[in-house]
Amino acid sequence: MGYIIAALSIVCIIGGLFFFTTATIGLLRFPDFFTRLHATGKGDTLAVFLCLIGFAIHEGLSLTALKIVFIAVFMFLAQPTATHAISRAGIRHGLKPWVKGEEQ
Amino acid sequence: MIVKSDDIIIKTIARIFVPFIQLYALYVIMHGHYSPGGGFQGGVILGASLALLLITHGYDEMRRRIPEGVVILLGSMGVLIYAGIGLTCLLLGGNYLDYGQLSVILHVDPAHARSLGILGVELGVGFTVMAIMYSIFFDISTGGILPGSGKRTDEWGDNG
Amino acid sequence: MNEFFVAVGLGMCLLVFLVLYRVIFGPGVFNRIAAISAIGTKTLIILLVLGYVYNRVDMFIDISMVYALLNFIGCIAAAKYLEMER
Repeated sequence: MGYIIAALSIVCIIGGLFFFTTATIGLLRFPDFFTRLHATGKGDTLAVFLCLIGFAIHEGLSLTALKIVFIAVFMFLAQPTATHAISRAGIRHGLKPWVKGEEQ
Repeated sequence: MIVKSDDIIIKTIARIFVPFIQLYALYVIMHGHYSPGGGFQGGVILGASLALLLITHGYDEMRRRIPEGVVILLGSMGVLIYAGIGLTCLLLGGNYLDYGQLSVILHVDPAHARSLGILGVELGVGFTVMAIMYSIFFDISTGGILPGSGKRTDEWGDNG
Repeated sequence: MNEFFVAVGLGMCLLVFLVLYRVIFGPGVFNRIAAISAIGTKTLIILLVLGYVYNRVDMFIDISMVYALLNFIGCIAAAKYLEMER
């Protein structure tokens, strides 16, 4: 039984690490501010959720696992709201989205 | 200059989260002797929750909910709790902040009375830090001048 | 299991160094704020890994919860300040 819990937790954490890597590569290589917000807003949220669920499964049923689940739910609700606020500020400030085929 | 936000998503999320943030700040104040925390850290988190409300809802609504007089009263109440506990220990026959003397009033042994005395002092510190953090944030963001009127904000109790 | 967590923590540190490129060279201030929010999210996981290394997870969970809160509030405050017309 201990092996199943450890294997499940390792699978979740490696999945989270994979999504973190792709989100970082997207943040570095995308051509415009709004596209970079897509990468970091969605990829980072899912990656943090998977990593925290992996940590919580490793702990078992205790008070610590309940606190980790609270942090995961908070991040799942708060990170998209922050991305929404930043993108609204970008639109109001006057940034234009990138159109394919034009010079940066 | 902070104007009223016309975005319903951010206002709703802030209204959902603020009670939980304040409950967590009370947890940090209470568990200061065992995990990282204490009076000052919990007070900063409480002040940050009020600052979040100020950012998302604008000046007029926050001045309607928490007037400036109430903020100053909360800050003074925290100092009163702190000094009041110290003076009670002095009146009961010990030194200024000697919590062991509180066992006469509370009918517990002196070690338990010291723990309760420190808890009371931390609560006072938390209230004062919350009030002053909110007041500093409010005054710096307005610059002393309210939007829409030529009056200054340092007239106590007079909502112009 | 301990070595696996240390390897995850080192991988996160490497990703933080990669995102620092966007903080330094991002044209304009909006790119920098998005990158700092991403760094804050990765720091949360590094703090939990440190909790496993020192074998005191229950202490480091409170610290990481406070850091998630402050990251969220700081991002919204910065976005509110920058919303003015050009």
